[in-house]
Order: sequence, then C-alpha cells, then structure tokens
Amino acid sequence: MAYDPRAPDPRPSSRIVRPYVLTQGRTKALVPPSKLDRAATPEARRIVELCQTSTSVAEVAARMSLPLGVTRVLMGDLVSVGALAVDVGSPDAANDVALLERLLDGIRAL
Amino acid sequence: MESVLSDRLHQTGWSTAPRARSVPVAMKVVVAGGFAVGKTTFVGAISEIDPLRTEAQITVESLGIDNAGLVEHKTGTTVAMDFGRITIGPDMVLYLFGTPGQDRFWFMWDELARGSIGGVVLVDTRRLEDCFPAVDYFEALDVPFVVACNLFDGVATHHPREVREALHVPANTPVVLCDARRKSHVQETLVLLVEGALRRAQARSGR
Repeated sequence: MAYDPRAPDPRPSSRIVRPYVLTQGRTKALVPPSKLDRAATPEARRIVELCQTSTSVAEVAARMSLPLGVTRVLMGDLVSVGALAVDVGSPDAANDVALLERLLDGIRAL
Repeated sequence: MESVLSDRLHQTGWSTAPRARSVPVAMKVVVAGGFAVGKTTFVGAISEIDPLRTEAQITVESLGIDNAGLVEHKTGTTVAMDFGRITIGPDMVLYLFGTPGQDRFWFMWDELARGSIGGVVLVDTRRLEDCFPAVDYFEALDVPFVVACNLFDGVATHHPREVREALHVPANTPVVLCDARRKSHVQETLVLLVEGALRRAQARSGR
C-alpha cells in the first residue's frame, strides 16, 4: 500500500501514550510482574515492577537509566496489552483551590 | 504477553477503565535558572529521593551551530532533566522538575511547564543575566513564580530589593534569599509559590 501522509498514524503507542505523559502522566501497573508472559523482556518486567506503586514516566526512565523516548515506547507497549494504566492527572490542578490548599498545608508540614 | 493479558485487557480496556483510585494527584513545580545555579541542590534539599536525572534526546538541527561550532553536523543531542519527589499525602505527590541548564533548550520547558502550578527561578546574583530567560518564560506563560537568590556560601551579595529592581518582576512576584542547601529555605520558597498560585486560583474562581 502506498504511503499516505494524511492517513492516521497506525502505531498504537502514539495514540495511547501521548507526549504529555512524559512529565505529567503517572503510571500504575494493573498486574504484578509475575503475571507477565514468559516472553516479556527484562525491561518490561522491571517497568511493571517499578509501577506497582504509581510512578511518573520520568522517574521510571531515570530508574531504568533509559532515555525518556525509549521508556515511553516500552511503557506504551505495556499499556496496549493492559499491563499498565496511565493517569494524566487533573489537567487543571494548577487552578484547583482545594488541591492547592492541601498542597500548601502539606509543604508547611514537611 | 498479549495472550496472557488479553482477558485482563478486556476487563480494563484502556479507554473505558475507571480511573485508578490508587493513583495520587501529581502536582508539579518547575525549577529554572542559569547553568550551575543550584537547581539540583534546591531539589535535593527537600526531595524525599535523591534527585533523579533522566535524559531526553532532542534534535538540534534547527538550532544552528553549537558552542564553538564543534558539532555543526550533529543532528541530535541529549539534555538532562533533574527531578525530585515529595509525598504530600496518600493522595498527592509533588514533583520538582529542574530544567536543563542551557538557555537554548528553553523549548523543553513547554513540556515541563505544562500543568505545573508555577516556577522557582533560582538566581546567582553574581550572574544575574543568566536568569533572564527563565523570568521571561514564566512571565510569558503567565504562571506564578518566585525569584530565589541562592546564597552561595550562605552569603547574600545583593539585597532582594536590588534584584527585584534589576529584573523588573511584577510586584506580586516574591523575590527572596534562599540557601538552596537548606530544607527550610527551600520549603519557605515553595510555600510562597503555592500561596501565590492559591491566591490566583481563588481570584479566578471568585472565592
């Protein structure tokens, strides 16, 4: 089939994990590492392990010592098979009075 | 992996899965300033984890030549981004993102700054001009920010008033002295930032 630049990007990861996930997204594993297929790569296992508690994509990248772009692709694959969920958070947390009040109290209490 | 997880996938289809309640709200603050101004120190003073560094590949073709023209033909480069984390509670986490030190990577800030509650501009008063891009950036973005003059060796070389005058920052933007090594100073700087963000949010919501 001829390449059609207007065609939608067929790569699932580009639709599922958008670039904003890079710093805004928080990920949470939906399965324990033991539930991964035997064929899962060590990287995939490690990511799922790291995400047992919700973790930012940037933190996963840092802990894996992988570039963000690579991490994003690996995590996108895990999202597409249902092993990870990505939560992009409240898009308007910066204007949410209740959230900011809690944050302020929290910082003061540190 | 797909076969084993396919039933799971059907139960928790990405588009219809209920938002996981166990995922805390992530708040974000951007720490900006010139090269070697103490951003990582600032983040590390209050972060519950050692500042983590991650790297992103970027394309520099359109940026023209690099320093001294040494890498004219380079098509990609790596920028580092430091960040730290503070757990505010079981349902809230604050991330501190340190921007790449080089001004010319300002465009990375867009991704960093999106959704952030505001910024801290760290200033070395001996190299005041290094912070201009960060100040301009936060002003243009119209997000709250605090100017924090890092006390290198614990010594203030300029009064915050002088820094304010030199930077022409808006009256509602705090300018403070801050020893980036001291948690209490970093904490107070963040309090000022969030107070500003809160006042703005309250004004916008009519409270």
